[in-house]
Amino acid sequence: MKDLTTIGLPSKGRLKESVLNLLKKNNLKLTSKGGDRDYFANLDNLPNTQVIYLHAREIIERLGDGTLDIGISGLDLLNESAISLQKRIEITKKLDFGKANLVVAVPNDWIDVQTIADLEEISFYFRDKKNLRLRVATKYPNLTNNFLTTKGITQYKIVSSLGATETYPFTGSSEIITDITSTGSTLEANNLRVLKDGTILKSQACVLISKKNKKKAARSGLSKLFF
Amino acid sequence: MKSKNYSKKILKVFKKRGFVFSEPDVLLDSNYIIQRSGENFKKLMLTFEDDSGKNMCLRPDLTVASCVKYLEKNSKGISKIYYSGQAYRRSNNSKDSIVNDQLGLEIIGSKKKYSDDKEIINTILKSINKIKIKDIAVNIGDVNLFKQLIELLKIPERWKLRLIRHFWRPNYFEDLLNRLETNSDIDPIAVDFDKKRFFEMKKLNQNHEIASRKISEILFRFDKKIRDPRSFSEGKKTAKIIREFLKITCPIDQMDKCLKIFFKKYNIEKNLIKNALPIKSLSKSNYKIIFSTNFGRDLEYYTGMVFEVSTLKNKKEIARGGRYDDLLKSLGSKRNVSAVGAAINLNNLSKGI
Repeated sequence: MKDLTTIGLPSKGRLKESVLNLLKKNNLKLTSKGGDRDYFANLDNLPNTQVIYLHAREIIERLGDGTLDIGISGLDLLNESAISLQKRIEITKKLDFGKANLVVAVPNDWIDVQTIADLEEISFYFRDKKNLRLRVATKYPNLTNNFLTTKGITQYKIVSSLGATETYPFTGSSEIITDITSTGSTLEANNLRVLKDGTILKSQACVLISKKNKKKAARSGLSKLFF
Repeated sequence: MKSKNYSKKILKVFKKRGFVFSEPDVLLDSNYIIQRSGENFKKLMLTFEDDSGKNMCLRPDLTVASCVKYLEKNSKGISKIYYSGQAYRRSNNSKDSIVNDQLGLEIIGSKKKYSDDKEIINTILKSINKIKIKDIAVNIGDVNLFKQLIELLKIPERWKLRLIRHFWRPNYFEDLLNRLETNSDIDPIAVDFDKKRFFEMKKLNQNHEIASRKISEILFRFDKKIRDPRSFSEGKKTAKIIREFLKITCPIDQMDKCLKIFFKKYNIEKNLIKNALPIKSLSKSNYKIIFSTNFGRDLEYYTGMVFEVSTLKNKKEIARGGRYDDLLKSLGSKRNVSAVGAAINLNNLSKGI
């Protein structure tokens, strides 16, 4: 077990597909004893490795506590995690897939709001005239907080969202949202518009290693592909 | 032991000058603070959820806690109080202590602004003198001077409000000045496109709300924005005036002269100076007092005079205070309640000498 390198891969979605393609292209075959539903797999040509399929957020957590040595996950999720966790993880390679932007989006019909500066004015209007704070629904409270504050927006309230964030402004749950988007089509379909200067982060898939197990990760035989 | 002795002597001065003891609550509703300081301040607060699901915090600041108490007591008159207690907040600097012992005083609800400002500064200086600390520097400013300067400049109203709102965030404020002298606020292509939607929306029910904003509100602001463009040359000139103003730093006895030179250079009304009277009165003080137009930009609730006392030896801040006339309203008061106060940081006082 001491020499076994554990690798966390995304368990579902487009990210999983892209990772599997990457491995295939590099002649690395994954085998699972329990079939498609098995969360564990092995790389045929590398006996000292074990692959675990996990939620992309979980991969970050497990790299942080050292139970994973290597992982593939999104830059957005890494940057959103607690600073103490980020300090324990190193990005070794940025991959050419999983590209998406974390953006600030407002309802289409807020035609007077084109930029973050407009939003800042609106947020003060909410506080001064309505005695309310502008509500921002997001799955990314940390990145959103940092971005809005550096742009001078201080009068707002974060509403945590677990999914379908695009619906929030139209169900009375928030006024605006921040969300991850690759083509912008989901936002558009839900009558939302990205602000001109509203890109919080340009994200992509990354190879990450646990700093604690850096040497072990380097010995894994995956150096060409992952480092 | 040292700080206990200091504390005793300082409190004696507070009492002698007519301040009455008041103990602000240790636990506050977090919303009070977040409403005023913004969502990002949350991470500096020590919070927990009580049994009813309400978010509470340990008081991060004794001034806010004193104001909350004033409002809860439904006080209408003048409250001239002092307190001795601890403020609890995390800091961005890991070396800073989470618990800060403070001795403070506040005058809330009085209309004698000039004499109250003087009273607060003089009481703090007298207290420091009482514990025989001589080697101190006093920095002083008046954030209201900046506000009045902005009102006199030729820029669109929304830019005036924006600059005043962000005076407290020097980095972002500099971004604003850069924007003021360079790019435009309005994207002509987007505006053309949105103009079509503007006319469509005019036909809709104006009271209908889109994400908590009435259609009438959206259209009013859109119309106002495109009718109030900003000129490049004025923007550049304005940014220069503001930058120059914020460079004014001089010994207090030269404040009048420096401000007059500045106003003459840019042909601005000189009446602003008379508003800095309580500061001016300090020019007879024995201490080294430096006036700066750029001073007091790190705490949003100040609205007028603001000052800081630090040790000359290791530059530790030992006292700070100022006027905060808008704070009580932002905490829920229905009327304007003027207030001024200051606090001595006992931890720094012991370390600084």
